[in-house]
Amino acid sequence: MTPQERPRTTNSSEAPSQRGYYDIPVIHGPHWKWLVIGYFYFGGMAGASAVIAAFLRLLGGKSGAPLARIATYVSFLALIPCPVLLILDLGRPARFFHMLRTFRVTSPMSVGTWGLATFGGISALAAGLQLLDDRSAIRGECPGGVRRAVGAGFSLLGGLSGFFVAGYTGVLLAATAVPLWSKRPALLGPLFLSSAMTSGAAAISAVASISEREESGAHGQLRSLETLSTVTEASLLVMWIAALGPTAKPIVEGRLGAVARHGAVGAGMALPLTIAALSPYLPQRLRRPASVVSAALTLAGVFAVRYAVVMGGRQSADDPSATFDMTG
Amino acid sequence: MCGIPSKQIDDPLRTSRPGEKDPHGVELEMQPLPAVGFLTDATICIGCKACEVACKQWNQLPADSQTTRFEMTGFSYDNTIDLGATTWRHVAFVERPSRDGIAWLMLSDVCKHCVHAGCLDACPTGAIIRTEFGGVVIQDDVCNGCGYCVPACPFGVPQLSDADGGSHKCTLCYDRLRGGLAPACAAACPTGSIRFGAVEELRGVGRERVATLRAQGLNDARLYGDDELGGSGGIGGLNAMFVLNGPPDAFNLPARPRLPRLNIVPSAAATFVAAAGYCLVAAFSFRRRV
Repeated sequence: MTPQERPRTTNSSEAPSQRGYYDIPVIHGPHWKWLVIGYFYFGGMAGASAVIAAFLRLLGGKSGAPLARIATYVSFLALIPCPVLLILDLGRPARFFHMLRTFRVTSPMSVGTWGLATFGGISALAAGLQLLDDRSAIRGECPGGVRRAVGAGFSLLGGLSGFFVAGYTGVLLAATAVPLWSKRPALLGPLFLSSAMTSGAAAISAVASISEREESGAHGQLRSLETLSTVTEASLLVMWIAALGPTAKPIVEGRLGAVARHGAVGAGMALPLTIAALSPYLPQRLRRPASVVSAALTLAGVFAVRYAVVMGGRQSADDPSATFDMTG
Repeated sequence: MCGIPSKQIDDPLRTSRPGEKDPHGVELEMQPLPAVGFLTDATICIGCKACEVACKQWNQLPADSQTTRFEMTGFSYDNTIDLGATTWRHVAFVERPSRDGIAWLMLSDVCKHCVHAGCLDACPTGAIIRTEFGGVVIQDDVCNGCGYCVPACPFGVPQLSDADGGSHKCTLCYDRLRGGLAPACAAACPTGSIRFGAVEELRGVGRERVATLRAQGLNDARLYGDDELGGSGGIGGLNAMFVLNGPPDAFNLPARPRLPRLNIVPSAAATFVAAAGYCLVAAFSFRRRV
């Protein structure tokens, strides 16, 4: 929070409150805004897409391969803005590499930096390999068995590091003094992971719906993963808000509450789930556009979740009573 | 093995043995210094703000903001309002209703130099260090302004500067300590409200002071900064303690704060379980169709 934004109490006639000091925040909120929200969004999508690529490549059989290819590219494309957003968010961007001079297990940001760097390397190599494979560049030189084994190895590594990148951001927020983020750490981490998985599945599904000529069996499985993940995300969000009690105020009331209710839950979860439920009754030619619309709504919903959680955290930090309620 | 534990012999960085002396008879092993800190007594503070001024002068800190207009809290003389990037000592003027209108209670707030510090745990660059004096310092030439220390502090101490992008807070006057001087605020305090010394010693002084105040009938007196009050929840006590004449929240201090890093294990474990759940679901659903 910059000094300009700091809530101030001018010479007013209000009575001195017994608890707190003129509503001045007890803790300082983070400066994180759009850049970090954007990173949480794209980073989650990149990590989850790599996880889904691994699922498709390792478990998806023959029809999984074309979708795994799309997932690999989506993962890499979603990853590209991430380091840029993170570096621009620093107060001193030219010193971004100072993150790489230590490793500290007590700092999710430090562990996350190394995890993101690892994931970035794997993701870039996997995308490069996929590109070579697409252009049949290595097909002649390399026996199919070796290619598949290398592809499977990269999928596994990408999936593991992808899970990390998709999940650590929730842990990072939980390890602060901000009441909204720190009160229920065991729910915020899974919520972030599941909203990342939802966005990954939706992004891959949307690209596949647009680009693939024929609907494969694996695409159906991907859609059910998208649906299942949306349901999981919705349940975790509701559980988290319920468990927070009065601490949830910033994301239940006011403008952010509207974003969470209408944007995240309404447009981003309820509507896509309804479309998914009605899809079998739609005429064949409408199913694909419906799936694209549903995926787009889901992606917007995930963004709304990230937005509400990050901005809600800032409001929560600025509310002294939220801190006092937790530290009684 | 000559009675010396093998662990010490194996340490490649070790150049001396315990008790070994150089040719001049000086011990080669550096003994850890006792941690030093503050005891700030709200019952003695007169709100003169000499500490704020001395801190700003010594550390060359500008006014809080050139862009906002001059403001104060309530009916007080508190124009700095909160600790921040350019205010490392902040005198709060707690106003309470009294028979004659309003009574003031002053407290000079400062970085608590926690025994286990949230900001230090969170710093991903290694900019935040524990000094040989037991204080917590942000090395300005290392900090890259990520801002994670800001919400990781349970007391709202560090803050990013608009001017240079880095995070700033009290250094316990590290440069003065290196030169054998007491921190500027403690040196400037005219009433002895800010005492500087070895933490263990100050803790005893603080307890004694609280006992005296209670004996005088100030039943609200308490020491803020042991692991019961102020230094709770894994923080392990504060190196900058306070004698308060009222509940901590009246001074905008959290009564029982918690070390943020303790949330890592439950949050990471739950996230891991969720990831395992996704794998399980994928293993079943993607496999069903061959």
